Amino acid sequence: MTRGNILLATLLWSVIAFLVVYPLSILVVESFKIAETGTWGISNYLEFFEDAYYLKIFGNTLVLSTLVLLSTTIFGVPLSYILARYRHWGKTVFTALILLPIVLPAYAGVFAFIIFFGKYGTVNLLLMEMGLIKTPINFIYGLHGLVCIQTLHMLPFIALSLSAGFTNIDPSFEEAAEVEGASGFWRFFTVTLPLCTPSYLAGAVIVFLWPFTDWLTPLILGQVDYLPSIAYINIAYHFTDMHRKYMGIVAVVVSSAVCIILFLLAKWWVERKKYTGLSKGTTSEGRVIEPGPLIKVGSYVYMVCIAILVLLIPAVLGLAAFSRRWVFEPFPTYWTLDNFRLILLETPLLIKNSFVFSGVALFFGIAFGLPAAYLIVRTRVPGKDALDFVITLMLAFPGMAVGVSYLLAFWQAIPLATHWVIMPLALFARRLPYFLRMAHSSYLQLDISLEEASEVSGAGKLRTFLNISLPLLLKGVLVGVVMFFIMAFQEISTAIFLYRGGWETLPIGIYLNWHRGMEFGIAAAMAFLMIVVTFILLLIISRIGGGVLKAAWGPGGT
Amino acid sequence: MAFIEIRNLFKRFKNVVAVNHIELEVNKGEMLTLLGPSGCGKTTTLRCIAGLEKPEEGDIVIDSKPMLSEGFVHPSKRGIGMVFQNYAVWPHMKVYKNIVYGLRLQRLSKKSVKERALEVLELVGLKGLEERYPAQLSGGQQQRVALARALVRNPKVLLLDEPLSNLDAKLREKMRFEIKSLVRRMGITAVYVTHDQAEAMVISDRIAVMNSGRVVQVGTPEDIYGRPANRFVADFIGTMNFLAGEVVRVLQDDAHAVYVRTEFGETMLCRTPHSMATTPGEKVYASIRPEDVEVFAAPPQSRENLVRGTIVHKAYLGNFLFIFVSVNGNLIRVQVPHHLPQEEGQELYLVLDPQKCMILS
Repeated sequence: MTRGNILLATLLWSVIAFLVVYPLSILVVESFKIAETGTWGISNYLEFFEDAYYLKIFGNTLVLSTLVLLSTTIFGVPLSYILARYRHWGKTVFTALILLPIVLPAYAGVFAFIIFFGKYGTVNLLLMEMGLIKTPINFIYGLHGLVCIQTLHMLPFIALSLSAGFTNIDPSFEEAAEVEGASGFWRFFTVTLPLCTPSYLAGAVIVFLWPFTDWLTPLILGQVDYLPSIAYINIAYHFTDMHRKYMGIVAVVVSSAVCIILFLLAKWWVERKKYTGLSKGTTSEGRVIEPGPLIKVGSYVYMVCIAILVLLIPAVLGLAAFSRRWVFEPFPTYWTLDNFRLILLETPLLIKNSFVFSGVALFFGIAFGLPAAYLIVRTRVPGKDALDFVITLMLAFPGMAVGVSYLLAFWQAIPLATHWVIMPLALFARRLPYFLRMAHSSYLQLDISLEEASEVSGAGKLRTFLNISLPLLLKGVLVGVVMFFIMAFQEISTAIFLYRGGWETLPIGIYLNWHRGMEFGIAAAMAFLMIVVTFILLLIISRIGGGVLKAAWGPGGT
Repeated sequence: MAFIEIRNLFKRFKNVVAVNHIELEVNKGEMLTLLGPSGCGKTTTLRCIAGLEKPEEGDIVIDSKPMLSEGFVHPSKRGIGMVFQNYAVWPHMKVYKNIVYGLRLQRLSKKSVKERALEVLELVGLKGLEERYPAQLSGGQQQRVALARALVRNPKVLLLDEPLSNLDAKLREKMRFEIKSLVRRMGITAVYVTHDQAEAMVISDRIAVMNSGRVVQVGTPEDIYGRPANRFVADFIGTMNFLAGEVVRVLQDDAHAVYVRTEFGETMLCRTPHSMATTPGEKVYASIRPEDVEVFAAPPQSRENLVRGTIVHKAYLGNFLFIFVSVNGNLIRVQVPHHLPQEEGQELYLVLDPQKCMILS
């Protein structure tokens, strides 16, 4: 343990203390404030858990979470099995398409579904034109719509973790079951699936927590009786009623608490249950089989269906982006580039903001993440595990919690919120785990003897890092950089609380323009632009090596 | 008729031929070992018997029932037990559940399942550990669970894929004998795969030596060691000195005795193993095991195959001494009792026992 390492740890810890611990504790403190008297107490919480309304929305959120988890599981198990085990043509393409929603912003999906499946959306209009139905079918407004949209958004998380599970099982476990006389389904349910539970759980917890985080989808669909949406409405729209504001903060704290507790429980359970096999010689590919013709066709149909639903999002937004006044007709009739002219030429500020804020956040991310990864993987400095723990926890924190807490914490005592730097700082704090996990996992794969050889040859720690570690880590770090940028670029839950006039980013622009009703073409054009940027960044990732991404977001990557 | 017959088996992975048209028979109740270096196709052959690989050509007949030619028989229907290299003991099931997994799939009463399981647990020495999870067991105990699981259904055939390679040396030696006596006692036909020649010698009734997808020699351990079919077998099993040379004369009265002129100029009297016929002029290797070379400080009287050399290295191995003797630039390894004082650089005389010196091609 050297002095340098301790200095580094202190430095990193002070950043975390200032940007994570301090604001989040302010959030908790504020939730105990009583509006009427200006004093402190637990009466807000008492009210929350006694009021039938708040209890109902808490219950609603739990129901929604359960349903979303259930449907992602039902759709995800076969999907991941197909992806992981069957040898088929176009595996990479299908995998990429099915995983796409991870990087697509959630609001893009909602907008696309409203245009396509809404009351007088494309599908209903087509069905009515064909005379199949008289009145429009309610596809999306209600619990079922929420479940559908959130399922599509969260399916990749289940698919990714489960297919990693299916791939990583030692083939001999299943072969032993076959030799013992089990075949087909019996083997799958007694051996394969139970062995996958740790990796399933890693994905399942992220899925389950999403309804406790996603305020936007219910809000836009007009189904506001869910915890995060109510919190948003109370805080953002009713700031004149201090009591409602504090109740909103209580809601944020409660959903954060649920997220953190469940996340930790899952993490603890996964680590306890992780089945470490003895096997030395498993292939990286796992057990891949050639399915029979019937199963093959079936699995293609299944994958194509899901891929079409995913592709619907960019396709519908694209149609809306290149047209105006697409209402009450199944497909647009008036084509124009006006939307793009508006956002690119007349108000390029949003695009500039998005790039600047995400870029600065990325700079912070690298400057913090690389030393942090080094500290966590390579040193034994006290407190480094706690550092890892806190940063990983940020994955589970709802974006709204970060936004609100920054607003509360950096307003009076430390008036940072009046400077635009608050935006990238908040993005940095919120998306940090995405970069750190990549750097962390590539660091773990880097054999320490390569670094030791350099030190034995006379190089110092810093020189070793620059000449040996960094070049070897580069691939993983680059993927982390791009991933971080994508996630920062589409961030809205935190930014929506912090932006001021002139600081709007693309996602905020999308949200605001959608509110203006008939201007949804502009919102669509912005969303489309964002998807294009994301696509380009994804292409870069796959060029660098998509396998790196999978390694970091596999079972251990929660 | 043999209990397991492998006929013209051929299996390839993409462009690599793993098993190249092999023929092999395993008799009822015998333990046959597939022995060879890694990549020789031994594990693939075993997996073909289990039904875990589908070969491109050939057939496997178990107890007069073809497994391939009359439609592929799924592994679950073959009536085999298998011990995997990494044991494949399911980590999410307790020992007891692991063992009765296959039994439960047969329509047996709960009572007889339990009786049978306890019987086998006793047999492999795991009694009392039924309620443990595999993670709470040592490597050796997991190995026993795997063995118990394979034996519990009274399989017609037991397949063992390098079952001891994950154990430490002491335990490995102990388990060799345990497995052998257990399988003997139960009278099961067993096929055992290993790359460890000592293990193969101890455990097998017969050994099939494999190399690059082919069976090179089949025989008892004594056969394989004493009368290797070729240079590969002789080199793979034990240690052998090879002296390149040429047949100069075949003896009139004994067709198995020939004279070979080695590269270093001496003429050696050698025997041909098996019924191999040789003619003068043929390039061969005069081969002799280190323990069949006698060492003399002074030239002994009238002995065949006498050469003079210098000790280059010596290696002390505890129970004996290995010396490397240079004979006109050729190194000959000799095993001598360690009480003989030998110094590096010392000159000595070697007699390559004509009865043990064989020619191999």
